[in-house]
Amino acid sequence: MSRVRGRRVWQGLRYAFCAVMLILILLPLAWTVFLSLRNNVDLMRQAPLSLFGPYTLGNYGELLKNRTLFRWFFNSMVVSGFSVAGVLALSSLAGYAFGRLHFPFRNWLYAFVLMGLAIPDQSVILTRHHIFSTLHWHNTYLALILPGLSAPLGVFLMTETFRAIPKGMEDAARLDRASPFMIFWKVLLPQTVPAQASLGIYTFLLSWNDYWWPLISATRPEMFTLTEGMAAAQTNYAEVTGMGVLMAEAVLAGLPVLIIYIAFQKHIVSAITGMVKL
Amino acid sequence: MAVSSRNEATRGWGNLLFALPFLSVYVWLLVYPLLAGIRLSLYRANLFGGEHFIAFENYVRLFCDRTFLQALGNSLMFVGLTVPVLVLLALMLALSLNRATRFAAFMRSIVFASSVLSVTVLTIIWRQVLVPDGGLLSHAAHLLNLTPVPFLSDQRFVLPSLAVITVWWSLGLPMILFLSALQQVPRSVYEAAALDRATPWSVFRRITLPAVMPAVILVAAYECALQFQVFGQPQLLTQGGPNGASRPLVLYIYETGFNHWDIGYAAAASQMLFALILVALLVPQAARWLPAFLKGRRA
Amino acid sequence: MKRWLFLLALLMLASCEKPDTRPTITVQRIFGDCRAHVPKGRPATINPNGECEIITGLLDRFEAENPDIRLKIITVAWPGYDQLSAQFAADDAPDLVTMHMAVIPDYKSHHLLMPMSEDLKEQGITPDQFTPVARRAVSMDGDIYGLPFDSWTQLFHINMNLFAKAGLVKDGKPILPRNAGELLVQARQFRERTGKPYFVQSMVNERAAYARNLYTYLLAQDEVIFPDPNHIRLNTPRAREIVGLFKQIYDENMTTRDQDYGTATAAFVNGQGGVYIVGTWMIGAFDAEAATPGRPLYKGYTVVPYPVLFGDRPAAFVDGHAWVMPVKHRTPEQTQAVMRLLKFLSVHEADWTRSGHLSSMKAVITDPAYQVQPHRRDLMAITSYGQGLPIDVQRQFAIQDMLSEELAAAITGAKPVDQALHDAETRINDMLTNLS
Repeated sequence: MSRVRGRRVWQGLRYAFCAVMLILILLPLAWTVFLSLRNNVDLMRQAPLSLFGPYTLGNYGELLKNRTLFRWFFNSMVVSGFSVAGVLALSSLAGYAFGRLHFPFRNWLYAFVLMGLAIPDQSVILTRHHIFSTLHWHNTYLALILPGLSAPLGVFLMTETFRAIPKGMEDAARLDRASPFMIFWKVLLPQTVPAQASLGIYTFLLSWNDYWWPLISATRPEMFTLTEGMAAAQTNYAEVTGMGVLMAEAVLAGLPVLIIYIAFQKHIVSAITGMVKL
Repeated sequence: MAVSSRNEATRGWGNLLFALPFLSVYVWLLVYPLLAGIRLSLYRANLFGGEHFIAFENYVRLFCDRTFLQALGNSLMFVGLTVPVLVLLALMLALSLNRATRFAAFMRSIVFASSVLSVTVLTIIWRQVLVPDGGLLSHAAHLLNLTPVPFLSDQRFVLPSLAVITVWWSLGLPMILFLSALQQVPRSVYEAAALDRATPWSVFRRITLPAVMPAVILVAAYECALQFQVFGQPQLLTQGGPNGASRPLVLYIYETGFNHWDIGYAAAASQMLFALILVALLVPQAARWLPAFLKGRRA
Repeated sequence: MKRWLFLLALLMLASCEKPDTRPTITVQRIFGDCRAHVPKGRPATINPNGECEIITGLLDRFEAENPDIRLKIITVAWPGYDQLSAQFAADDAPDLVTMHMAVIPDYKSHHLLMPMSEDLKEQGITPDQFTPVARRAVSMDGDIYGLPFDSWTQLFHINMNLFAKAGLVKDGKPILPRNAGELLVQARQFRERTGKPYFVQSMVNERAAYARNLYTYLLAQDEVIFPDPNHIRLNTPRAREIVGLFKQIYDENMTTRDQDYGTATAAFVNGQGGVYIVGTWMIGAFDAEAATPGRPLYKGYTVVPYPVLFGDRPAAFVDGHAWVMPVKHRTPEQTQAVMRLLKFLSVHEADWTRSGHLSSMKAVITDPAYQVQPHRRDLMAITSYGQGLPIDVQRQFAIQDMLSEELAAAITGAKPVDQALHDAETRINDMLTNLS
């Protein structure tokens, strides 16, 4: 009897907690959308805004007339997309090597890679800038993508994932005299899909949010990433009274990624839960 | 024989080729710049060329530099405020939402939604929540006849405010990682526990917690490393103010390098950051290894 | 799979542009982005006398009048030096860029700017055409390193309607304090009679105004701020007095608090205070407000230089914008194009001053058409007595940043005044002595 009540209390707490978190997370987002639908002049007035006040789509209209926002979005998608592809490719190959193959100095090399986990971007950013300056590769997609490929987290994750696959998996393929690459491609890689999914999302977000590096590498406006372009807009706002437009810009910048995530979400979840079924 | 042919196939320099693409980029863009940065920290150097060897003078100067020490303190405080709350909340969310209901799926999307925003969108949104003139909280304060709190311009509140914003923003990924750790536990274990009439608390303590603990430690260590590198939020919202109360290490490094053009000094500061992160990542390793070591000692 | 490749190829082709053989020059500027309400080639629909609106219009006009030159305009967030430094480091600097005159010494001393006197002379522009203030700021080592575009300073922008209500108007002019004591008395009177703070100030995220206030009143007393280019002297009785006054103003609630630049500007425009300390660049915008019926500033706006609160003569801390040419390889056509743009900008400087900035050209200052614009006559003298910091002091913006941060701490009470001045001195001297 008391156990049932105990469970009810737990459940009640759970729902209360979820409700509070839901409000806390949604409120700032809703506020932004609300502000984006108000007139710039009203917002300048600094008087309390009424919920019934005049709404307008003018801010969105103004934004959509300006094509640079789309260009920034395109840049971010290209950079993040290729970053994900690059990281998954490089990390999987390296993870297979460290996790399933043997070669001289393997463990030493792996430790060498792991030490890189502690290196923050800020320790290396000036020299990276100098490297790309010498090559005249700034303001290119390459400069925005390559640094992300040097991060060791992906290799760490994939190595552990490959190691965790039961030893027996490859035997059948080896009896068929398959090359190490074929074993990698046909047998082991498919087993790592959930980890790939996690790594992919993580890399995408990291790349999407990267701020300092694009700030100093992509200095021409047509090469700005969305994050960088919006930072420029944000500080420019102080000089022109476009608060409503700024809010609309925030909504437009956040929405596509959200939509992509929601579309992808089913795949991600099933991939992760798929791992459980093994 | 079968065994030796297996060994031959998995050994040999050829296998290194798989790791080579990554290793090349790694050495070129991470290891070499780190070494170059360490070298640079021993020089007095200007952003536009010109350098002058001064050995450890930069490091000495750092430790006498009030602004640097303040930035260091801010970074430590920021991590201390952010990471425990983040890990705890993300864990609670994962535990609450580890269900197959549509509501749970919906909530998971919402929590992750805040994480996919870029840092610039984040700061645009939260400035309009916290600012005392026209922000969401000040609207609420006016409705309740209270004076609005200047969260971003008061030394006492600015760092906690940034911490709140960061937690709000970072919940998604840890939550997903905890969820996948929780989902590793087969349903059969829970069913067996139910048959044994275990209380929810002991289920949590004996089954759930140990299952999720490795993920918690991993997330905590990684988030520490990540939050030591916080940059966008203070730079865009407060520019390190007021009075340097929200200037973390990275912002200090950025200002020293790009505003003061003093890149040797900035490089020295970034090596300090590196050391800090190294400690943050090694501590959980040591924590894992220490009990075993002590047990070995006692026996 | 083939379908995707085909689409990708199409996308790439679509993003290719027809090859353009005109000389292209990159022009990088601050002043904000307002393309949304300034359609290309047409007048601005809002705020026609704003900095952003005028410069956008000018550059559009240049392009229209010079179809054989292609302009690539990059707008950067104020002050734009992080990007510029990164661009220089990447060997990718723009052809022409706006630069504060205070910053020219930094870039020039690192050999990053091209001397311009020869080329400007060919276009008919000589240094004696500049105002004394402007000429001082761009002349170094016997050459000119920038084309002056304006001089600006901070001013007291006054809401005359509120001043009248407070009894501080006489014969149509504002009554201004003649020393610190009078300021406090008048400010209290203002508060009593209008219920609003005397000052509107940008105090949050503010990295310039504090320093400028201090510089102005130190210069008014002939105080030597930089005994040599590598040392600053701040912890002096006079400095303490000045900062103490601003602190008292803050403590007694005679100023708005917790506002950043955008919010403070909006507050002044909405009639939330009597005097807004901000620069010349807002004159155009505020005049527009003063002409709009129903607005708090309607028929009630004037602007004056800082009243003489310390010392015995007026002083103004002055800076200005100039157009500089980064050192880079240019084809002769590009150099010609840059020079033509510079000539155009110099000729239309009077247009730029509609924003409120003071002109840097003698011809404009002495032109009756210029003087007849609102307030200009009151401010003209500044172009002679205004001063910047000594031109051999480097990193003036970084100094301004650090100084403002410490002064903000002192004024808001986070630190004692002499501690703040001492810390500012230490930090600035530390940076200056470690310059390489």
